[in-house]
Amino acid sequence: MRAPTNLARGSLGFNMTPMIDVVFLLIIFFLVSSHLVRQDTQTESEELNLPQADSGQPADADLARRVVVNVLPDPVSGGRFVVGGRPMGSDDLHKLIAYRDRSGRRMEVRIRADCTVPYRVVEPLMIACARAGVWKVTFAVVEK
Amino acid sequence: MRRPTCHRDDRGRLDVKMTPMIDVIFLLLIFFVCTASFDPRQREEILPTRLSLPGTIDSDLPIDPEMLDLEEIVVKVLWRDGRARWQINNRDYGRLGEVGNVLVAVSRVQIELPVILDVEPAVPMENVIDLYDLCRKIGLKRVQFAASVGE
Repeated sequence: MRAPTNLARGSLGFNMTPMIDVVFLLIIFFLVSSHLVRQDTQTESEELNLPQADSGQPADADLARRVVVNVLPDPVSGGRFVVGGRPMGSDDLHKLIAYRDRSGRRMEVRIRADCTVPYRVVEPLMIACARAGVWKVTFAVVEK
Repeated sequence: MRRPTCHRDDRGRLDVKMTPMIDVIFLLLIFFVCTASFDPRQREEILPTRLSLPGTIDSDLPIDPEMLDLEEIVVKVLWRDGRARWQINNRDYGRLGEVGNVLVAVSRVQIELPVILDVEPAVPMENVIDLYDLCRKIGLKRVQFAASVGE
């Protein structure tokens, strides 16, 4: 029997194009999903107007353990807390702030408060941080 | 009889391959959708804070920017008639610029002087951040928030 020599004539060629397409789509998918995870802290951007500041510094892009607390305006209570896209009460939030990891380190707290939220909503959060020994507390702002 | 290949018909005409074109268009669509939705209008930054130890802050301290033996300066932020007002050493200021002038004078005397921000509960965060931002812009090194702890 004669072995096939001409690949162009009915032989099984290895088609790279679909594989490249699929790999490219997977790369895009993971890039977008990782970006969405980072954007998870800003899920309420549409209804959250951050205060403006001149002296802000770029937000860390490190992998530090951080609690991002969104403080949204509320007509009844003045403000409500949202962490990771979920509403959270004060008690649960205080427990979360006081959480230590295995090495005993405290987490950082970033407060993303709407500019119209009264200080009385944010103050207990800051007091809870101080009581829990969380000294790295930052306010999220936008540049003027 | 030889079967025609998928790319050529019997007369040798080239077919238009739609699959790669659809792939490329799909990828371009995803790319532009993602870049459009992830383009922030304003870049978010952070303001690091210093929290004072739990306790109440006694604001009845004799504060004078000209004095060299100051221990701390307390800036009160009040909320009156829907407007923010400021108070330093029991002296009222109606504009944040005036507060800035006082703090600049203080910073010339002693840049390390602790500045404690005592904010009324009704003051919006916008005014709180404005004052804190002002202190940072002046270059005051130790700006802290007062925390009233009752229990």
